[in-house]
Amino acid sequence: MKKTIYKITAIILFIFLIGCEDANDLSEDIDQENKSLTLLFSFPSSTIDPHQDWMGVRAGIAETLVKIDQDLSIQPWLAENWEQEDEQTWRFTLREGLTFHDDTPVDGNAVKASFERLLEVNDAMANNLKIESIEADGRDILFVTSESYPTFVSELVHTNTSIIKVDTENINEQPIGTGPFQVVDFTTESKIELERYEDYWDGVALIDKVTVQFNSDGNVRGLALQSGEADIAYHLPPETLAPIEQRDDLRVESVSSLRVHFLLYNMKSSPLQDQNVRQALDLLIDRQIIADEIMAGHATVANGPFHPDFSFSNDGAPESYDPEQAESLLKQAGYQKNADGQLEKDNEVLQLTLATYQGRPELPQMAQYLQAEASKLGIEINIVTVENVDAYLWEQQTEWDLVTYSMLSAPRGDGGYFLNVAFSPDGSLNPGDIYIEDVNALITQLNQTSTIEERIQLQKQMVDIIQEEVPQSYIVYPHIIVGVNNRVKNWTPGSEEYYLITNELDLE
Amino acid sequence: MRLVFSMIGKRITQLLIMFLLLSFITFVLMKLTPGDPVRTILNVEDVSTTTAQEELIKQQYGFDRPILIQYGEWLSNVVQLDLGESIIAKQPVLQLIINRLPASVALTIGGLVALLVIAVPFSVLAAIYENKWPDYLCRGVAIIGASIPSFWLGLLLIFFFSLQLNLLPVMGRGTLAHYILPSVTLGMAMAPVYIKLLREQLIDILQSSYIESAIARGIPRWRILLFHAIRGSLIPLVTMFGLSIGSLLGGITVIEMLFSWPGMGELIVNAVTQRDYPLIQGYIIVVGSLVVFINLLVDLITMLINPQIMQEARRAQ
Repeated sequence: MKKTIYKITAIILFIFLIGCEDANDLSEDIDQENKSLTLLFSFPSSTIDPHQDWMGVRAGIAETLVKIDQDLSIQPWLAENWEQEDEQTWRFTLREGLTFHDDTPVDGNAVKASFERLLEVNDAMANNLKIESIEADGRDILFVTSESYPTFVSELVHTNTSIIKVDTENINEQPIGTGPFQVVDFTTESKIELERYEDYWDGVALIDKVTVQFNSDGNVRGLALQSGEADIAYHLPPETLAPIEQRDDLRVESVSSLRVHFLLYNMKSSPLQDQNVRQALDLLIDRQIIADEIMAGHATVANGPFHPDFSFSNDGAPESYDPEQAESLLKQAGYQKNADGQLEKDNEVLQLTLATYQGRPELPQMAQYLQAEASKLGIEINIVTVENVDAYLWEQQTEWDLVTYSMLSAPRGDGGYFLNVAFSPDGSLNPGDIYIEDVNALITQLNQTSTIEERIQLQKQMVDIIQEEVPQSYIVYPHIIVGVNNRVKNWTPGSEEYYLITNELDLE
Repeated sequence: MRLVFSMIGKRITQLLIMFLLLSFITFVLMKLTPGDPVRTILNVEDVSTTTAQEELIKQQYGFDRPILIQYGEWLSNVVQLDLGESIIAKQPVLQLIINRLPASVALTIGGLVALLVIAVPFSVLAAIYENKWPDYLCRGVAIIGASIPSFWLGLLLIFFFSLQLNLLPVMGRGTLAHYILPSVTLGMAMAPVYIKLLREQLIDILQSSYIESAIARGIPRWRILLFHAIRGSLIPLVTMFGLSIGSLLGGITVIEMLFSWPGMGELIVNAVTQRDYPLIQGYIIVVGSLVVFINLLVDLITMLINPQIMQEARRAQ
């Protein structure tokens, strides 16, 4: 009997040892002959079909006709050049010598087939691109849109417009694109294994293999970077950074994103219909304190809806914190302090309901901060934390007065998207029924304007009006925080978060 | 044998009734909670849309129809063994689930192995030294274990075994080593209840007359423990396992997400947040069948390992 027990113990020990050995192998995959890198990303992909998921472009598998560069302006990519033939017609010419990963050439017909599939499988893109017909001729592709669509080119920056080979099976797991890396294996929601494509048109990649892993837990991503299991770890929570910053072999990159955190006011709420009240709340926000304390320094204070690097963003300085001015504005609006120290007008106490949600943990903190600041002036703010913020805002429009919100305001290098959805009366992100006559007229004009200079002017004009009317208070542009192993070279995270894996990325 | 067949038959009838109720309740609850998949379908956070387009999609997908009609349509497809297509991923629901099921089952088995490795020694120790310090220690460990949330425990294990000791991989699936941390996390999360149960069983058995007579016959203590006591105490453990399989499959979600385990965790969490109705319903049907099937298996096993039950059932007939 003793022998049996020994045997069992031996087997258990043996299994454990095998396990340990394997783990060591994994952490030592730094092989000079065969450069391989692991990037750890936060949002797991259930498919890598580039027409439905962003990982196609992010992982360097697929590419679009045009891209945005570091300065956020539109540049040629698979298309060599393009021209607008009339208000609804666009002609793109492909580069010479493009091939898919199976070495078949990419011509106009392949691009046409790719777009036809995109419109079929992706309702959102079909809606957005408004393509009526596509014609192919050699390396030329002619797009005709169903209506005048000046921002058509910038919409083609969207990663879902990737050009992929369509007459192939299993696009969900093995898409064939034109990028520097091709898919070897994909495990849903877990990892993508890639190897470089030797005939890449823009010069073969400097590293041989890339693994993109997914993990939705920020703490685990930080630990994986520290253990050496990941070389690049995306979206690290600020509280995980201290041990990474202390290490000599690791660094933290923090770049301003295209996202803006803001307050959205409900124009159906009677106190907030008064511009003075909105302005007073705006003056109660100390943006620097929020950036430094709540965002732990990983945010840039906002001076408008758009990232300051955009040519159409606001030139002015961010609104400064000024509770005295806020107080006098509230007085102008007719509010007086009552015996309990609360602000009151026509016997009604100024009480506001501020909605917030846990999806971005900093938003509820901002809500609490504003609540504290407002109570100093005698404004009572009740915070409501909701699970599905959009459903709440739309279905209970009379319940809330203001909400902490966050969105990508110019994801593809043009502000037309945000201005349309947030300020048009039928915009899908306008639950507060914002209607500013001048802005509305300018939106209509913008939607008809294709000259870039004119568009910039129009957008600047609108931003000026918005800053004056304060239908929303822009607070900070949160940063993208990425942990990087110092052996990674030629790589910095971009604000756009589209082009993570490139042919230039290298390892020491 | 006839007895076994009649039991299976009874179970299948129960199963059908349960499915009908379960699927109806989840369907109604899902539809009553705020939000629908329209904004995800239109990718509102990313591309220009208007409220009119949202309405159009709502009509196209039939989300504006009465709940009962929507449920009836889904049910008539299920009767034809068609679980439908995911609204967001545009892939067959069954395929999405089947692709991920093996990893979840594998982790469950890993968790059970870890559970046995943890629970048996602790409970044996506690039972032998009843009301002495090893017993208190084991019970203390069990209480602490029961109060630690599994995601935190997982993080601690990663911190020590992957970062400090560099022995095991942080996440993913592939080698045997990848199984250790998620399995241990799962096993430790379940262990406290089992330690308590097994300890009490063992104490009862150790005081029973047949153990006393074994001692009187001079059989070595370890032999009694291993071949008489532990064996006897396993029967309620098997029943207990059948009962906890449901919460096990639910609790595994957190652990899968923590360790990037390619099981059903991420799939179902996303399905719920995006309100992917067919996928949620499909998941409930598949996991529901799994739970019922395992429970049936557990009953059969208990019948086989405990002849008393079989005899009683025969007598009852």
